[in-house]
Amino acid sequence: MNRFMIGATLTLMVASSAHAGKATAGMRVGAPSFRSMGSLTFGPEGVLFIADTKAASIIAVSTDDTKPGKAATALKIAGLEKKIAGLLGAEPAQILVEDMAVNPVSGNVYLSVSRGRGPEATPALVRVKGESEVELVALEKVHFSELALPAAPAESTAGRSNPRLESITDLAYQDGRLLVAGLSNEEFAATLRSIPFPFKDGVNPTSVEIYHGAHGRFETRAPIRTFVPFMIGKEAHVLAAYTCTPLVQFPLSAIKPGAKIQGKTIAELGNRNRPLDIISYQKDGHVNLLMANSARGVMKIVTESIEKAESITAPVPDKKGVGYETLADWTGIDQLDKLNNKTAVVLRRDEGGALTLETRPLP
Amino acid sequence: MRGAGQSVTLRWVVGPQGPSRASVEASGLPDPQQLKVFAGEQRETAMAGSVRQIGKHTVFEPRFPLLPGTTYYAVCGTVSVRFRLPSPAPSVPTRVVQVYPRASTLPLNLLKFYVHFSAPMSRGDSYQHIRLLRADGTPVDLPFLELAEELWSPEQTRLTLLFDPGRIKRGVKPLEDIGGALEMGKHFTLELATTWQDSHGKPLAAPFRKRFLVTEADRTPIEPSRWRIIPPQIGTREPLVVHFNEPLDHALAQRLLTVEKISGTVALEDSERRWRFTPQKHWQRRRYFLVASPLLEDLAGNNIGKAFDVDTSRPSQTFRSAPVHLPFSPR
Repeated sequence: MNRFMIGATLTLMVASSAHAGKATAGMRVGAPSFRSMGSLTFGPEGVLFIADTKAASIIAVSTDDTKPGKAATALKIAGLEKKIAGLLGAEPAQILVEDMAVNPVSGNVYLSVSRGRGPEATPALVRVKGESEVELVALEKVHFSELALPAAPAESTAGRSNPRLESITDLAYQDGRLLVAGLSNEEFAATLRSIPFPFKDGVNPTSVEIYHGAHGRFETRAPIRTFVPFMIGKEAHVLAAYTCTPLVQFPLSAIKPGAKIQGKTIAELGNRNRPLDIISYQKDGHVNLLMANSARGVMKIVTESIEKAESITAPVPDKKGVGYETLADWTGIDQLDKLNNKTAVVLRRDEGGALTLETRPLP
Repeated sequence: MRGAGQSVTLRWVVGPQGPSRASVEASGLPDPQQLKVFAGEQRETAMAGSVRQIGKHTVFEPRFPLLPGTTYYAVCGTVSVRFRLPSPAPSVPTRVVQVYPRASTLPLNLLKFYVHFSAPMSRGDSYQHIRLLRADGTPVDLPFLELAEELWSPEQTRLTLLFDPGRIKRGVKPLEDIGGALEMGKHFTLELATTWQDSHGKPLAAPFRKRFLVTEADRTPIEPSRWRIIPPQIGTREPLVVHFNEPLDHALAQRLLTVEKISGTVALEDSERRWRFTPQKHWQRRRYFLVASPLLEDLAGNNIGKAFDVDTSRPSQTFRSAPVHLPFSPR
């Protein structure tokens, strides 16, 4: 789920080589400790952000994976859980793949994994090796820095559910800032935090309030499930997807510490559907979005339609707003990322339940 | 646990850290890289671990602890030596302890179930093992909100199962098109299958079924003025008993209903219609306050002074209410 912004990628790569080591300056060397590994996203210079949802913290790890051009560009790993189980010394049924991210510099694919499905599960970071193998990423001696989320929700069974589980639902890196979606401990619990990187102390979360068209009320307690930064004209925006499935747009400039903003609901993509992942890419002069869903397949959205979209402020019947195309042959897709400008890498679950990692041309 | 072929010898060594941290000791290897360790019968992906040379021996230490129930093989060419952790003592199979709400009649706009287990469960595919059945045994299509995070307690012994909000709230297309998950006046059964595994990968001891009758939707806010408070006796630790006029949410009523500045233990009885508070210290001759948080919920998610799906939604309008204080004096 690398959400490197379209259009900024090249600039950042140039910038990173000009300031080599800037992203890792101030990092400690050692073994970061993880209670869990969830969402992943890459920053500059091969820095990988790993969400530890259980600990409500983000760990930035320098992967040292900073050389372009060595990674394979046609990947196919059938039985991914079986392969990872072999690597981690477990049964395939004990493996849960949590997230996937491509290092935009090298094109290498990283996966966060749980070894075990119980409360004592061990997290692990795995990388695709060659076209069809996996390897463990050693984290015993790495450059890393850590950020404990301010105002993190308590780990508790006292309420109707344990809010810590949704402390971090998705990550993206954008122009020197890490964007973190999830819950906080505040009354309006759904937040999108914008955190300068390298990390500094005392960052207040940004609380994002949205109007949820289909349900006719604000759903401030519902966290963003997945989001992507992208450009509308010359202004950077965030497009966020929620359960049941409104697409909401925020200008990035509005996401400031302490602010409460009202996003523009630009589409309702239908109920009884859960957005799983979203990426942006450029093709034929257009900026496109691909969104994977639990019940409605993979949707392709051309962002020009977002620019023209009217805000939805009243309850709407099922689907409304920007148009999209459902990709007929993209079925069973759980996770998406962009391997390069022409290729996507996906995690696809087949009818029998086995997970395949594979590349596909971007549509 | 030795194997020899030509001059290669492989051996599993259990050290002071116990069998889950067993390592492989090899001698006579032409190349240390030829030593591989595999989990299970597959030979495609070797286990991650570190290789060290100690004198004549090559020692492989698995990166992760070995798991009971999995067979491990140290392999070099044609030589293969297996290792299996002693199976843990057979434990009592995990079972469903309770499903809340306990009432056998539930409102049409029921918001959630809580499923409590006797031991930690596995996560990742929970919704596959849960069905909501009509009286004729046919399952309701997608009645619950299926979240990737799965709303488990930290110990993974309680799952919060939310009905799909699109099938509860009024003015929503799916509710108008396909109706709510539940139907008024009809019986339904929540069924939890034994295929649901605990954290050790063992199935549940028995399927769990909760049969209930659906009554009319509850769109009325909680009204503490309609609760009946039975004052306790002065000079005793007799429980304070509060009878609600409707069942309240089990998890929230334990935490969000308190006696001001008094500590004690809470029990919910009579299918969450009765709240019983036993103080740590004796009741005195004075006035006390029962404090109800505005975040308390009934079974349909209605709060004090606010129904669940009332439209509070003009942009930027926020809904707040203060805790309700109900006085009582021990007798």
